[in-house]
Amino acid sequence: MSGELFAFLVLALLAILGGILMLNLTKVIHMLLSLVLTFLAIAGLYVMLSAEFVAIAQVLIYSGAVTIIMIFGIMLTRHNDEQKTRGNLTRNIIVGAGIVLFFFTMYFSINQVSFGDQATSLHVENTKQIGVELYSKYVIPFELMSVVLLVALVGAIILAKRDDEEEAEHK
Amino acid sequence: MSAIPVNAYLLLALVLFCIGLFGALTKKNTVIVLISIELMLNAVNINLVAFSKYGINPGITGQIFSLFTITVAAAEAAVGLAILIALYRNRSTVQIDEMNTMKH
Amino acid sequence: MLENAWLIPLFPLLSFILLIFFGKQWREKCSYVGIGFTGISFVLSVIVLFTQMANGSGGAEAAWLTIGSIEFRFGVIVNPLNALMLVIVSLVSFLVHIYSKGYMHDDTRMATFYSYLGLFTFAMLALVISPNLLQLYIFWELVGVGSFLLIGFYFYKEEAKAAAKRAFIMTRIGDIGLLIGMILLFWQVGSLEFNEIFTAVRDGSVAEGLLTLIAILIFIGAVGKSGQFPLHTWLPDAMEGPTPVSALIHAATMVAAGVYLVATLFPVFEASPAAMTVVAVTGGFTAIFAATIGLVQKDIKRVLAYSTVSQLGYMMMALGAAGYVAGVFHLMTHAFFKALLFLAAGSVIHAVHTQNIEKMGGLWKKMHITGPVFLIGALAISGVPLFSGFFSKDEILLATWYDGRYGLFILGLIAAFFTAIYMFRLFFMVFAGESRTTGTKVHESPRSMTYPMITLAILAIFSGYINTPWFGTFLGDWLVGDSEFLPFEHHEGPIWVMLAASLVAFAGIGLAYLIYYKKALQRDFLTSHMPNTYTLVFNKYFIDEFYQYTIEYGVRAVSYLGSFIEKYIVEVIVAAVTGVVKSVGSLGSRLQSGQVQTYGAVAFVGLAILVFLVVWTGGYL
Repeated sequence: MSGELFAFLVLALLAILGGILMLNLTKVIHMLLSLVLTFLAIAGLYVMLSAEFVAIAQVLIYSGAVTIIMIFGIMLTRHNDEQKTRGNLTRNIIVGAGIVLFFFTMYFSINQVSFGDQATSLHVENTKQIGVELYSKYVIPFELMSVVLLVALVGAIILAKRDDEEEAEHK
Repeated sequence: MSAIPVNAYLLLALVLFCIGLFGALTKKNTVIVLISIELMLNAVNINLVAFSKYGINPGITGQIFSLFTITVAAAEAAVGLAILIALYRNRSTVQIDEMNTMKH
Repeated sequence: MLENAWLIPLFPLLSFILLIFFGKQWREKCSYVGIGFTGISFVLSVIVLFTQMANGSGGAEAAWLTIGSIEFRFGVIVNPLNALMLVIVSLVSFLVHIYSKGYMHDDTRMATFYSYLGLFTFAMLALVISPNLLQLYIFWELVGVGSFLLIGFYFYKEEAKAAAKRAFIMTRIGDIGLLIGMILLFWQVGSLEFNEIFTAVRDGSVAEGLLTLIAILIFIGAVGKSGQFPLHTWLPDAMEGPTPVSALIHAATMVAAGVYLVATLFPVFEASPAAMTVVAVTGGFTAIFAATIGLVQKDIKRVLAYSTVSQLGYMMMALGAAGYVAGVFHLMTHAFFKALLFLAAGSVIHAVHTQNIEKMGGLWKKMHITGPVFLIGALAISGVPLFSGFFSKDEILLATWYDGRYGLFILGLIAAFFTAIYMFRLFFMVFAGESRTTGTKVHESPRSMTYPMITLAILAIFSGYINTPWFGTFLGDWLVGDSEFLPFEHHEGPIWVMLAASLVAFAGIGLAYLIYYKKALQRDFLTSHMPNTYTLVFNKYFIDEFYQYTIEYGVRAVSYLGSFIEKYIVEVIVAAVTGVVKSVGSLGSRLQSGQVQTYGAVAFVGLAILVFLVVWTGGYL
């Protein structure tokens, strides 16, 4: 067993472990933290796939920003909340069955696929390659993305704020 | 260079996607539903990055797309959280099954 | 004048309409309206009769509906039979109108009564001048409505309600036969005009088997209307109506409509020997059958009702035996003396307030007019010589004799014997002997009631003389005189037939005299010696019970079956359909729960299945 395969297996197991923990824990905050484990494991996988920049971004944005936002969300609402029941059992069974069906279908499809070559130059100045591409070939999507972020920013503020004003008017 | 077949990455992504999907469809807390959706997006990202290395036409494009996805996911998380807070103020709950105003 | 004969029915109709609208205000004056308009009709009818005699038949017609090449017409036709019926109907109706003024004087719904009488008179008069079967059928039904309304006049009495419904339903059974017969006739002939029907029948353009069927079906209509066996049971029950109504509708006019129908369509019947036999046998059987029931009934009106059934059977028998003139002649005389008897019975009931003859008696001395006129009626119906019934009955017996139906001839004699017995049983029990009345003081009826009775009594005596073997057969010659379809041969009968008829009548009267007046014979002879027979006859041969156990229970069984099917098959299907729709609906509404996750789950499961199918089929779905 090569070191790379070993690293892959460990990271993959960690990622799946995080997901399964998320499904089975009861405290909301614990679920969230278990997912951080998954995100970190995925970042490790990115490194293995010669995508260092994406890996860093993953750690920063997912493990950092998104998770923190979610934790804030929990704190602002009901931070002691627990998953009391399993919810609608019938629906869960149906969803589970659908997912199992989907899983095996896709698994069957994946096994049919075989890919040829491997890219070899991705790890060489990875960040620079991305930068060059972004500012040349993908410059318009990149700029659009900044607009999306701006809209999301403004929208989030307005959404979170408007009720305050209305409440103030009512008072 | 690597002995790991691309199918292994795809399989992992599939497992994570299924876990995320199950969480998104069955969990009651809205925060968890949101984060499950993030997990599904991550699974997709794994595919994108894997295809940027292995594949018929490998290249940096996959990584760039995964960056876009991450950005959109971050924006989505922010807006989703804002909506969540607004909802919480109105109905003082984060249980998704109590948010059934679409029924009316 | 004949083309204006359509005016005659309009006056009673006018009376009906006026009284419907203004009856409440006019109160007692209503009777004058009714009497006046019927009187005009009567006068016009007499004029029409004489015009017809002088100038021959006539009429007027106009197109009513034109459907393709078929034209339905309406109008009037005045031939001897119709003119005679017009006079009979309008006269009896006129007299009954007058009589009712006295009889109904303390009834608060007098206006309604007179308006119904007007409606009935209108329908009956229009019926007898119809030139085609369709028009006849319309008024035939209208007459039934009038009868229904008048039988149920005392609608607060359960028996009256039941009787009205019964009369309507029983006659409807017959009407269905008539309708089917009409339809068949129309199919064969292509017209419902009497003249065209007769021409077609004479030319033999209708197959004989079918013609027999048509005749019998039409006869079924007559059976229903005229209370012939086996549809006779409604007529005695119809006595729940006011007595003037019984006199008008259920003795003189409407029940005679069946006889009139057969007489009008006589050429059709004549063309089919089988149908003639059916008519004759039914009539003869009914005559004796109803007469035996009449022997033991205790209700004065019911005795008369069974007598009516019996006499109508007589007429049918005459018609069936090709005695056209005899049948119509008896129809006329019977109308007079039976109306007389009913009016007299009404007068008695008016006086003693009961209908049970066991509780009457000794009224001869107290009712100086009613008694004699009742006696005249009884003598006439029994066929005592020199009274009208004698001549018409003689004519009937002659007709059956000459037709070679000796069995029916014997039946007719026996029926005449029974008729004499029950009529004089009635007479002696009501008017002779000790008074058995209780309570109220007996008094003679007012003049408005006695005058019509006297008029009818005169007619009951003398109306027979227009067709006698002695003074000439004026009526017979006139009735068939100018018709190309009616053959007529008067039978110069052997004198012994007449003697036999007289003998039988006197024998019957004598027997009744011995039993009920002299008490020389035990009254309860029949009851004590043949109790079973007595029970059988007293209960009208259990015909009602028979109908109850067969038809009613049969209908009930069918209805139970129907309701079972309805309940357990139809409703289950309906419930299943609604259930499926409802459950689909509730399923749909449960899907519309507002639960985003459920929506997502459904969408995803669907997608998963689709993806699976695509992969399963190798992408060639």
